[in-house]
Amino acid sequence: MKKSILTFALIFMWITFVKAMDPVYEAAMQKQIQAMNSIPNLETAQQVTNGFIRIAEAKNEEWLPLYYAAYTNVMSAFRFEVNKDQYFDQALQWVNKAAEISPDNSEITALHGFVIMGKLSVDPASRGQEMSPMAMQLFSKAINQDRENPRAVTLMAQMELGMSQFFGSGPEKACGMARLGLELFKKEKMKITDEYILPTWGERDAEGILKNCN
Amino acid sequence: MKTLYLFTYLFFLQIGFLFGQSQISGIITDEKGIPLPGVNIFIRGSFDGASSDIEGKYVFETTLEGEQTLVFQFLGFKGKELSINCNQQKIQVESIHLIEAITEMNAVTISAGAMDASDESKAVILKPIDIVTTPSAMGDVVGAFQTLPGTSTVGNDGRLFVRGGDASEVGIYVDGMRVGNAYGTTAANVPTRTRFNANLFKGTFFSTGGYSAEYGQALSSALALKTKDLAIRNQGDLSIMSVGGGYSHTLANEKHSITLSANYFDLQPYQNLIKQNFDWERSPHSWDLELAAQQKIKKNGLVKVLARTESGGMSLWRPEPGKEERGILTDINNSYSYVQTNYRQALKNNWTLFSGIALSHNKDEIGLDSLQIHRISNLTHIKSTATKDFSDRLSANTGIEVYLHGYKELLPNKNLSRKIDETEAYLFTEWDWYLNKDFIVRGGLRGGRSQLSDQYWLDPRISLAYKVSESGTISFASGKFHQLPVDNYRVIENSLQNSNSNHLILNYLYANNGITFRSELFYKSYDRLVTFEGYPQDPQQLTNGGYGNAKGFDLFYRDRKSIKNTDFWVTYSFVDSERKFDQYSNQVQPNFAPKHNFSIVAKHFITNLNSQFGASFSLNDGYTYANPNFPGEMNSKTESYQSLSLSWSYLPKPNLIIHLACSNVLGRENIFGYTYTQNPNEMGVFESLPSGQVAPRFLFLGIFLTISKDKTANNLNNL
Repeated sequence: MKKSILTFALIFMWITFVKAMDPVYEAAMQKQIQAMNSIPNLETAQQVTNGFIRIAEAKNEEWLPLYYAAYTNVMSAFRFEVNKDQYFDQALQWVNKAAEISPDNSEITALHGFVIMGKLSVDPASRGQEMSPMAMQLFSKAINQDRENPRAVTLMAQMELGMSQFFGSGPEKACGMARLGLELFKKEKMKITDEYILPTWGERDAEGILKNCN
Repeated sequence: MKTLYLFTYLFFLQIGFLFGQSQISGIITDEKGIPLPGVNIFIRGSFDGASSDIEGKYVFETTLEGEQTLVFQFLGFKGKELSINCNQQKIQVESIHLIEAITEMNAVTISAGAMDASDESKAVILKPIDIVTTPSAMGDVVGAFQTLPGTSTVGNDGRLFVRGGDASEVGIYVDGMRVGNAYGTTAANVPTRTRFNANLFKGTFFSTGGYSAEYGQALSSALALKTKDLAIRNQGDLSIMSVGGGYSHTLANEKHSITLSANYFDLQPYQNLIKQNFDWERSPHSWDLELAAQQKIKKNGLVKVLARTESGGMSLWRPEPGKEERGILTDINNSYSYVQTNYRQALKNNWTLFSGIALSHNKDEIGLDSLQIHRISNLTHIKSTATKDFSDRLSANTGIEVYLHGYKELLPNKNLSRKIDETEAYLFTEWDWYLNKDFIVRGGLRGGRSQLSDQYWLDPRISLAYKVSESGTISFASGKFHQLPVDNYRVIENSLQNSNSNHLILNYLYANNGITFRSELFYKSYDRLVTFEGYPQDPQQLTNGGYGNAKGFDLFYRDRKSIKNTDFWVTYSFVDSERKFDQYSNQVQPNFAPKHNFSIVAKHFITNLNSQFGASFSLNDGYTYANPNFPGEMNSKTESYQSLSLSWSYLPKPNLIIHLACSNVLGRENIFGYTYTQNPNEMGVFESLPSGQVAPRFLFLGIFLTISKDKTANNLNNL
């Protein structure tokens, strides 16, 4: 029994080892992520999204390229003059595809909630009622899947802030969550190296929320 | 495996270095030859590729060799693939034309006769939330639709009246399944409501004519309500109202959800407090139990169950013209049950199957002084449909339906009864064909068979829509519609056959960014309407001898943009209706079809008060009635109907709503018609009594509290 666990562990290590050792994939991802972090206009955003999708098409066992493609689409919809619903719907498709590859992934669940938040923002008056609990639900699910995920916590803080502004009930809860988010970002930073390709975005959003706190 | 993959990769990379690269370039345009920037071009199975630039041009290098597949992908367009031979040279790819995909987002929608209230369609006239926040609606689904074009407010009835048609001409469906006795049983001049709670539905589709071949047995209109999908969280909803209270509990996870609710209403305390025009012996009261459940099946399947049972009653004295006493004691007791279940499954190859069964049971016990009348109605509806999308341009929906219907009238004191049993069967098919994303043609055919009437019939329907500009659509609809007469006529004369109607509708819709303008022109003919001798209470010699028509136009303007935090809509409908029906020997303007109908609804949100204020105003030019003191039929008209309703919704906390609403704030004494004595008095005059409102105003106060772990939950829907 012990032996088989050991073998299993070794195989597992070997797989992760190999996975981490796909230098072409890693390099391609690093290049795209770098481009993603400095998108000046819609055209570049489109190129970055396309780049991630090319990687996703070639490496259909990886969730990350789909994740980033969806994330870039969401950011484009927020930043640029585009058909927002179309961009969010496309992002949602990629998120769902990513979730099939990697189920119970806190990052994907949080991004899913972010997409819903985006769709909500297109028409808050009529979508709010249905979508705001949906987004909340996804963020709390993401937090449960990984309590160390700073993005899940920050996005939840964002929703809480919106609620408190609407009801004039004071931002204490949102602030607390944003502070927790920032701490988690600090923790995350310790792990980040040049080769790190997992999601790292969101720290500025947490700081933004904290501006509403005294 | 991984290593092998890696190895192959490196190997190819190696070869690339050794033998150099191929350079691939080309240009991409749309169908019209306009360059498409941002298209994703890549070689299948590799990272090699590029995005097209502003001129639609692209260029990239690859180290791959031999036969490769070049893939073109672009959001909103159909993808394309191309075989190329990579030979380490410059490869000029033929110019590629991508075809725009037709999706729900960009395709034209048929708006003739159709009004969508959903979040899905873009041709939306009302949002689901409007149903609960329209002040005059008082939370009733149908109340909100009475502010829409093509409808008339008949204030003493409460049901939907569409374009000169009577209330029976509106067919009501839940998830495609017919609802028998959808309105609560009531006494004459006491307005009724739909039985179903507005919070069950995620969307509604309301048609004022020319509607889909999927629906039948409704001469004027189809109202299709779509129930919600899976609930997303556990919660309890408590409501305390000036007229009753209720509790609803929802249990949900990702696979299934169930909501159970119970309500009790009694207007007695309210009516004791606020003076009524009517002489109530026992105020309206009712209880209901409701269950809604959803279960996901496999990947794309959903089973829904909706069950409801309720019971209620009322008792009032109805004065008679020319008499001083309290009049006739009208006593009504009603029990009603509805159960339906349906299953929708999306299959491979773009097939969607739907099957459902619905059962309605209604029992009325009516007492008029010592006379007791019982009416029992049962309806079973079984339906199956198959939908196939052949491509993004062609789809078909085909189905089969069976209705089993029984109706019975009893006079228990006299030991008399009569009944009918009916079986109807239908087949329908409907085809949607997009010539391009701006032009759609929909053709449908519906065939029916009634056993009791021993009749077969066929209803062809056609509609088309053309997008004339980015925001404007012109649509046209036409069709034939059949409807069997109402039960209380058929039970007397079994041989009565279908009435029928032809619709012609021309519509222009402009919808852009918070502004909607809609105008519609229509003509509707009626034939084989039921006529009889004598009075409606005791019809004799019933035949299909009637006919008539209705023509007119309506205008609708909605604006959610121009005034900050304000949403308003204005509706005007003109209906010129004449029909020979019931006891009339000539064509007359029916009493339920006022010519000029106007309404305005406005809602304003004040953020720092956490409040939404609403106002709605309805106006029409009065209802026709027959005054026997003068010659002719339907020779008189009441004064104009006017009603202003106001509401205030206050959200002090995310999970608490306080809602206050008042109808007819100005207390206008609206008259809907007059009842006359059957015989003239000594002076030779028929004495009359006006049919007025139950009370000058109706005041509603409700407190809605949601109990959930998720503090943002509220039951806005229960307003």
